[in-house]
Amino acid sequence: MKFQEELKDSIRKALPDLDVVLGWCGSFDPLHATPHFIRREEDIDKLEISPLSVHNLATYLPGLRGKKVGIVVKGCDSRSVVELLQENLINREDITIFGFPCTGVVDQAKIKKALGHAGNVRTCDISDSAIVIQTEDKAHSLTLTQMLADKCRTCRYPDAIISDYFVGDKIGEPAPLETDYAALEAFESLSVPERFGYWLKELDRCIRCYACRSACPLCVCRDHCAAESRDPHWLSQENNVRDKVMFQVIHAYHMAGRCTECGECQRACPVDIPVLMLKQKMNREIRDIFQYEAGVDPEATPPLLSFNMEEENITEKEW
Amino acid sequence: MKIGVFVCHCGSNIEATVDTAAVAAASREFPDVVFATDTMYTCSEPGQDEIVAAIKEHNLGGVVVASCTPRMHEQTFRRTVERAGLNRYLFEMANIREHVSWIGKDRESNTNKSVDLVRMATEKLMRNRPLYSKKFDINKRVLVIGGGVAGIQAALDCADGGLEVVMVEKAPTIGGKMAKLDKTFPTVDCSSCILGPRMVDVAQHPNITLYAYSEIEEINGYVGNFEIKVKKKATYVDWDSCTGCGICMEKCPSKKATDTFNEGIGKTTAINIPFPQAIPKKAKIDPDFCTKIQKGKCGVCAKLCPSGCINYEMQDEFVTEKVGAIVTATGFDLFDWSIYGEYGAGRYPDVITSLQYERMLSASGPTGGHIKRPSDGKEPKNVVFIQCVGSRDKSVGRPYCSGFCCMYTAKQAILTKDHLPDSQSYVFYMDIRAIGKLYDEFTRRAMEEYDTKYIRGRVSMIYPQGDRLLVRGADTLMGAQVEVDADLVVLAVGAEAAAGAGELAEKLRISYDSYGFYMEGHPKLKPVETNTAGVYLAGACQGPKDIPSSVGQGSAAAAKVLGLFSKDQLESDPQVSVVDIKRCIGCGKCIQTCPFGAIKEMEFRGMAKADVIETICQGCGICTSTCPQGAVQLQHFTDNQILSEVNALCRF
Repeated sequence: MKFQEELKDSIRKALPDLDVVLGWCGSFDPLHATPHFIRREEDIDKLEISPLSVHNLATYLPGLRGKKVGIVVKGCDSRSVVELLQENLINREDITIFGFPCTGVVDQAKIKKALGHAGNVRTCDISDSAIVIQTEDKAHSLTLTQMLADKCRTCRYPDAIISDYFVGDKIGEPAPLETDYAALEAFESLSVPERFGYWLKELDRCIRCYACRSACPLCVCRDHCAAESRDPHWLSQENNVRDKVMFQVIHAYHMAGRCTECGECQRACPVDIPVLMLKQKMNREIRDIFQYEAGVDPEATPPLLSFNMEEENITEKEW
Repeated sequence: MKIGVFVCHCGSNIEATVDTAAVAAASREFPDVVFATDTMYTCSEPGQDEIVAAIKEHNLGGVVVASCTPRMHEQTFRRTVERAGLNRYLFEMANIREHVSWIGKDRESNTNKSVDLVRMATEKLMRNRPLYSKKFDINKRVLVIGGGVAGIQAALDCADGGLEVVMVEKAPTIGGKMAKLDKTFPTVDCSSCILGPRMVDVAQHPNITLYAYSEIEEINGYVGNFEIKVKKKATYVDWDSCTGCGICMEKCPSKKATDTFNEGIGKTTAINIPFPQAIPKKAKIDPDFCTKIQKGKCGVCAKLCPSGCINYEMQDEFVTEKVGAIVTATGFDLFDWSIYGEYGAGRYPDVITSLQYERMLSASGPTGGHIKRPSDGKEPKNVVFIQCVGSRDKSVGRPYCSGFCCMYTAKQAILTKDHLPDSQSYVFYMDIRAIGKLYDEFTRRAMEEYDTKYIRGRVSMIYPQGDRLLVRGADTLMGAQVEVDADLVVLAVGAEAAAGAGELAEKLRISYDSYGFYMEGHPKLKPVETNTAGVYLAGACQGPKDIPSSVGQGSAAAAKVLGLFSKDQLESDPQVSVVDIKRCIGCGKCIQTCPFGAIKEMEFRGMAKADVIETICQGCGICTSTCPQGAVQLQHFTDNQILSEVNALCRF
């Protein structure tokens, strides 16, 4: 990436005052990146920004509260940072934010599907329009836009909303490839038994690893999650789909009006359950009732985290 | 826990559509239930004794009563189990009357539903824990909102009982609607002669602090410890030095100000004292009509005032008062009758309201007690009274009876004859409702001794004919149409909730009905209490009332306050939220959502944690639904207790 060196210079400048800077670097094969914790000057060179920088590093921030932390953010990641600030879960003065113009990240599930069982990846070259992947037996050329994560196809915030250092030229307001919630609306046109049947089928393969929760930047209860708590005892340990559905419903409710739709829950799912749709559903309701979007204004109070005697768009007296 | 279940017949209320014996038999199969029976009246003395005996005999650890709503008898049964030595919270109630027998007729379904409700109650009871109240000090001062006759009575009774009273009145003088009346039914004694001394008592009582021309801005706190922010509206006159001499009023050149006290009959000066017996007798400026305030010129009153108390720059002032109880006596307002096109919708000057007529009859009113037509000042000959204007009329959203109009119309008809012996009064009525001591005799007198013509029927139209008004209506007893040439038409306008009643209710956290009248705690057994502890009702704010009833309620509310303050400490309700600090991550979401400001942040071993102030918490549970990890739990309604009820119901 053209601004990568500029970014490294910024980090170099800020690092002496920071305990750690969160970024991405290469991983076990050329097709994957991994979160990178920069603590020393020499760690900076390993930093790599590319469409493989999928992880939302804001997930680490609440756990690092109290430390001076730098964080490299995509536009969507910055919304998580804003939401954490809104909820008083991190301190603004402890965080140094490095932003860059993001042109989208890949969806590894889509690549895996396109490649099939291809074995080890030898090289991976990403240009503006294509990804060329050399596996052991042949070269695969994939169109980049088709491999982009769904959230990138509807992205409205490619530049970090909040930053202390911004490298590269801002993209501004992009034209999204798809409209918001189109997939959700298509799903909603199904009948109730069809939709319930869909979720029973999808969630039946859940292995209750709770990776969705662990990857979520706004799941901040950590050791006190309702999933494992015995007092209050929300979920049993029984192996049934009911408790799996129950957990996802709890998660969606806890995210209502807070979720920035970064998609980490769905990306982290090892069995590819489309759990993001549940949160999108809640978010669309919140948008329609409160005209509110999570994580875009550090000063705003999320609608479900305040109390009003009368809500403008909820007329209880007419119920 | 050994559980006993008591299924009540409630006479035939429940037993008629629920097989209570079968419910008891099914309950015996539930886990932990060691005893179950059905009883005729569980709330009666033998019924309660049966519970006490069963607790002792079977060594019960908790009791479920399946009967009526907890609002009816939860307190009764809590005391019963306490009498047998159990903690009062080791009791659950299953509502199989309001929720079952009264709403369904199918005996089998009702029985099954009752079994389900009892199962839920036993499952919750197993997870109940003993809870204990804490004691807290109370502030033995009382706030009375509204200085009408009900408020005055409540204030005087409280003050005579030794309490410090703060009275807040919206208008510049106390007295309310009664002060505007000429005479009162059924004795026809002078209203200001009987109310006046009471008003003076309020002003002179050492225990009463009066804030006239003031409003309630904010109410915080809870029973025993309310904090009230009072807005003293700007009067532009320093009331500490104003002697009420009235010189300013005589000389004020702006004489077109709205005369609210006289219901708009005539005009008054921009600086004015509402009426000679006003309490406090202090002048105030109506800024909309004051030439000095509007245009910067004039200043006559400031020049002439012997005490130098005029201040054109005065601003609203706020004072804070701490009290332990509140009596709400905000009264009523008149229905806006201009919605009625058939009565001219306000176009004809000689169609007036009953309260305007009252001011006309009063010797201290704008006409000096002479009945004059507003249009030409002539004495009327035929006076037509129309009853139920904005009462008992579904078409204008006022289906209720205002209660006192029948009586004051009879009184006004009598007074009309007294003032103008040559006059003839007609009353168009729907029914005569004269239920009170000497009331029916009074209306009879109006008809028989004062020759008032009562016509049973509604008026369909009023229209001008020459300088008179033609009133056309039906006489339903004769089955004929009638027309009366009227010189003056008086509308018996109904009562509606006082303006701003809704906003005040929200500040007080009390509920009101769909017409804006405040809801009493129980329509029969708690007529002056509200569902908010420490807030009481007096007078017409709870529903239209005549003077004797309002005074009665004022005294009743005072008795409740004195009873409340007979103890030095109150017990707090232990059904409040409690924070499990092990689980709390200190995010403060509960602090943001608490409607009562009952949660604050505290520090525990260097970490931020939420902390509930028990006396402020009202147990609404918003914090518990806000906290994602369930660190805040509402006692007696914990997540586990609610989940166990859900699981008891959704077993398949």
